[in-house]
Amino acid sequence: MSGSIEVHGLSRVFHTTVRRPGVAGALRSLVNPERVAKHAVSDITFDVAPGELLALLGPNGAGKSTTIKVLTGILTPTSGEVRVAGVVPYQERERNARNIGAVFGQRTQLWWDLPARESFAILRDIYEVPKAEHAARLKEFDELLDLSSFWDTRVRHLSLGQRVRSDLAAALLHDPQVVFLDEPTIGMDVVVKEQVREFLRHQVEQRGRTVLLTTHDMTEVERLAERVVLINHGRLVLDGSLDEIRRRFGSTWQVRATLADAHTDAVALPGIALLRRDGPQVVFGPDGPEAPTVNSALKAIIERYEVTGVAIDEADLEDVMRNAYAQAGAAA
Amino acid sequence: MAALSAWRVARVTPLGELNAPPRMTGVALRLLVQVVLVASLWHGLYSHTGTTAGLGESQAVTYAVLAVLASRLRELDQFAGRDTVIQHMHFGTIVYWYLRPLPPQRYYALRALGEQVYGFAWALGGYLICLAAGVVEPPGSAAVTGVFLLSLLLGQWVLHYIMLATDQWCFWALRNNSAILIIIFAQNLLSGVYAPLWFFPDWFVTMSSFLPFQATLNVPLSIYIGRIPLSDAAGQLAVQAGWVVVLALFTRFLWRRAALRVVSQGG
Repeated sequence: MSGSIEVHGLSRVFHTTVRRPGVAGALRSLVNPERVAKHAVSDITFDVAPGELLALLGPNGAGKSTTIKVLTGILTPTSGEVRVAGVVPYQERERNARNIGAVFGQRTQLWWDLPARESFAILRDIYEVPKAEHAARLKEFDELLDLSSFWDTRVRHLSLGQRVRSDLAAALLHDPQVVFLDEPTIGMDVVVKEQVREFLRHQVEQRGRTVLLTTHDMTEVERLAERVVLINHGRLVLDGSLDEIRRRFGSTWQVRATLADAHTDAVALPGIALLRRDGPQVVFGPDGPEAPTVNSALKAIIERYEVTGVAIDEADLEDVMRNAYAQAGAAA
Repeated sequence: MAALSAWRVARVTPLGELNAPPRMTGVALRLLVQVVLVASLWHGLYSHTGTTAGLGESQAVTYAVLAVLASRLRELDQFAGRDTVIQHMHFGTIVYWYLRPLPPQRYYALRALGEQVYGFAWALGGYLICLAAGVVEPPGSAAVTGVFLLSLLLGQWVLHYIMLATDQWCFWALRNNSAILIIIFAQNLLSGVYAPLWFFPDWFVTMSSFLPFQATLNVPLSIYIGRIPLSDAAGQLAVQAGWVVVLALFTRFLWRRAALRVVSQGG
């Protein structure tokens, strides 16, 4: 139970007023407003185990932030059940607050007019963290995020990368079991991104924190997440490993093999199609929905044929996700 | 530990201001200019008359200068520190108020308290200088001082709730610029910052008595200058306390409703 996230049948409906176009439409909306129900998330179920990093993916407006807002206790679900570290967040906001940390992209929780270190001290007292514990944790975060080079600077003067690093530290200073990160590296340069990823990896692997990450950065997903939940139009499309998502939506790999004997008969293998042949050069590709991953295909090809060279053209995760979003969008 | 967090949160505004000396210089200059101009204006108005609206020259000048100094008690320092409700709604950072083990209403109250104490230090400094320079008269007696301070405390409490309700409006309208302009104008006019309420017609004074604004400044300042005698002060203090209770209940209700409307972020 400790540090786990449980989401069962989560739905959230917003009721909004439709604004009709034009001046006449706006006036009509004033007199006779048309209310519509918008299903931000519908019947979503997934779990995150303690110490696991899960990437919650989906195109803009898919329902990721709504899901996170319910999990952090900001929103109450229309139906369904949610537990974070054993607590129903929207029923026990304060208790939940002690168990979780959150970073919402470029939205800082630091005090704009004060040095970052002063914000850390305020949060230490708000969360009632003992001074020695706070100092030790701050030292650890400083080693990983290089905070001391700028923590005496007022937040309004920090660069985006410095601010997000400070925000990450601020979110974790009270040692939360569960961390919610909503696009934490958006707009950051590659060096800082890598530093943040290393920090997150450390928090998951060494500190055993449960992390729920939303991002549009597929490199981040590849480097950090083993498991992915994909939602679109508020519905869960896929819950599985990166391999699985590649298998389902990443059907664009090709293996180009050079056969040792140019006269060998090349045939298709289970789930692997023979796309073309030019002398000893043979090109294989995925065949059908049960096609293996590129690594499994490569293994099968090498086992079946004697090859002198191979080259792989694989769709990167960006292509895979584009494909996944398109298919999920068409299905919805 | 709770006291520590209260202290830390309350001192955010003073600390932010101390980190920005140009802003402090600006405040000092503004107060100086306003006090000089207001004192000159009221001396000028009384140049050909002895008593108007029941106030003598020194009473009127004292009232007007104290009103200027009191207006410093609650300024928009939080705005410079990007910690107002409207800014948090605009930037989507209001969510953090709901992610901490410190409830938003307590956080807001502590921030306001810190701002108020910081403003009081400015007002007190200005008052002592004006007193030494003979610009304002001292209170009539120790009893007047005590009742004035109590009335000022209640008045600032009323003002706090008025400002809070204006900020809470952001949860519905996302912005409160117009509401703030209306409130500031109403507050300055109906509390006696522009001119003591005693100068307005009877119907205006009667109307003001049904609104909370006159409880914020007009009552304490009138007690200070002796326009409200101590024998009548108890009733005025009771009215102020009544406003504190009514507005406290109202804003408490609004906090509960506001918690259901933290939707400034995208979905």
